Amino acid sequence: MKKKPPVKLGYVDYKDYNMLRRFTSDRGKIRARRVTGLSPQQQREVAVAIKRAREMALLPYVAGQ
Amino acid sequence: MLIVIPELDEEQVESTFARFRTIIERTGGEMKEMDYWGRRKLAYEIDHRTDGFYAVMQFTAGDRTLPELKRILRVSDDVLRHMVVKLPPDYARNDPSPEATEAPA
Repeated sequence: MKKKPPVKLGYVDYKDYNMLRRFTSDRGKIRARRVTGLSPQQQREVAVAIKRAREMALLPYVAGQ
Repeated sequence: MLIVIPELDEEQVESTFARFRTIIERTGGEMKEMDYWGRRKLAYEIDHRTDGFYAVMQFTAGDRTLPELKRILRVSDDVLRHMVVKLPPDYARNDPSPEATEAPA
């Protein structure tokens, strides 16, 4: 499979929930790295940020229904 | 970042935020930025509430700031949720928007 181009992110802020939405499914699940095309470090930062955003009710734990 | 219960009026919400500002300053911290998001819908219900007042404070901490701040946040009935997060040293350059907060629900 063709490799995806690297994604540039900078500091991943949990408060920027609209940006984090790009990395969640419509169910609210965190997308896998093979889907997001992020490096391991970036994927981890995004995952941590999403979890923080969930804790502060900025993103849902379970979306839809 | 903290979320205050929606039952309060604007004035009470303000005094709540002012209270934490005082705590930070009294314990040797310095308030850098205070960003009031206002009333917002929660992504899910917390204690049967569907919205809350959000505010983000960016501050530096003195030795006693964090234990004291976290203790008071925990016992404050008007705080729905809070989080204190340590920012990277270059945070301001990344994004002009403020912040401050971490964990226990």
